[in-house]
Amino acid sequence: MDTVTSYTRFPTVRIRELKDDYIKFELKDTDPSIANALRRIMIAEVPTLAIDLVEIETNSSVLNDEFLSHRLGLIPLKSERAMEMRLSRDCDACDGDGSCMYCSVEFTLNVKCTSDQTLDVTSHDLISSDPSVVPVDNNLAQDINGFDAPEARGILIVKLRRGQELKLRAIARKGIGKDHAKWSPAATVAFQFEPEIHINEALMESLSLEEKKEWVDSCPTKVFEVDPQTQQVVVVDAEAYTYDEEILKKAEAMGKTGLVDIISRDDSFIFTVESTGAIQASQMFINAIEILKTKLDAVRLSFDTEEADDQFGELGAHMRGGGM
Amino acid sequence: MASTKEYGAEADDQTASTFSLTEEDHTLGNALRYVLNKDPRVSFVGYSIPHPSEERVNLRLQTTGLPARDVLKDGLQDMMALNDHVRVTFEKAVDDYKTLQGMREMSVGASGRSGASAKSGLTHQTLSTDTK
Repeated sequence: MDTVTSYTRFPTVRIRELKDDYIKFELKDTDPSIANALRRIMIAEVPTLAIDLVEIETNSSVLNDEFLSHRLGLIPLKSERAMEMRLSRDCDACDGDGSCMYCSVEFTLNVKCTSDQTLDVTSHDLISSDPSVVPVDNNLAQDINGFDAPEARGILIVKLRRGQELKLRAIARKGIGKDHAKWSPAATVAFQFEPEIHINEALMESLSLEEKKEWVDSCPTKVFEVDPQTQQVVVVDAEAYTYDEEILKKAEAMGKTGLVDIISRDDSFIFTVESTGAIQASQMFINAIEILKTKLDAVRLSFDTEEADDQFGELGAHMRGGGM
Repeated sequence: MASTKEYGAEADDQTASTFSLTEEDHTLGNALRYVLNKDPRVSFVGYSIPHPSEERVNLRLQTTGLPARDVLKDGLQDMMALNDHVRVTFEKAVDDYKTLQGMREMSVGASGRSGASAKSGLTHQTLSTDTK
């Protein structure tokens, strides 16, 4: 990295909170365009696995086949393997039907209700052909954290009454959120601009204590506070500010325009990443960076093939299987 | 397969071109625009998506003398370095956080648990009072 005579700034990172499915961190010294690229990629282009093809053998449940298939598709699956796997459309190990170990994972489900009690069919009933690709289980995750989860229930698919049966085979494939939201590993990915709040102390002192309190209370989130000792208005939590400008309107209404100056810093961002559980939140960010890099490579390589075409004329284009 | 085409370079002046990137969108277009704008050899750069239902980004690049294509390639390289840097910094930050958290848990573990485990300690207490 030291060889780079780059004109771009090099960002810094500080982690604030880290859990398996949640991360909050600061990304500083960069531009909204970079932050936004990473956010967009995490939502729409980080691959995961999701059920994509369902063959139903028996279904006497109350839900019709396509309804069930849709529900199965939406179940998040542990997708640590997804980055290494192939998209079934460009897999050459199978005949494009997406049924080999490089591009798919098979699930089976076979449940019949034989008692008088309603039987819940859940994600636990899905039997995977690959132990590393299983439906996510938040209840189990809670158990590890010491919460007393009632019983690990899994994700409900359908309920069966006596005599009803459900038997099916499902193929999970790799995909991205751009193609279908079921493949998105993101529950939420957001970044906010870090606010910088400057109080005009001179003007603030022209307010009475009541006026200060009234002004502080006009903010919908708790950003300011009147210090009980010094009776001065202080910023307690700048990040709580939602850019609603209520506080500015209030100051204006009180005839104190310019009481406070709020600027959003457009070089530092606070990222909040929540994962569906398919991929660890911190891994999602790393994967996003890798995907951005492959995008850059793709552009650079497409240049090279174009140059090769120039050299060999029509031939090069033919060899690659047609033109652009 | 994604392709990149350069328009405008056929003329004598190679310093100004429009690059047409397929299968890309604002994700790459805007980020690339930012990185190229930081390069002092660039006199103009901008991008547009001509039609929302077509996966195409047109990137206009004018330089102060070098061929636009070379400057774009450098821009890609710059962004690659930026990505590598963010990845390394991020991984380090995560590791540091984890070690710090591990150390904190160990020191807390000695003087009784906190947070979620305190709750289970509480239920334990209620249970024991029930048996009395």
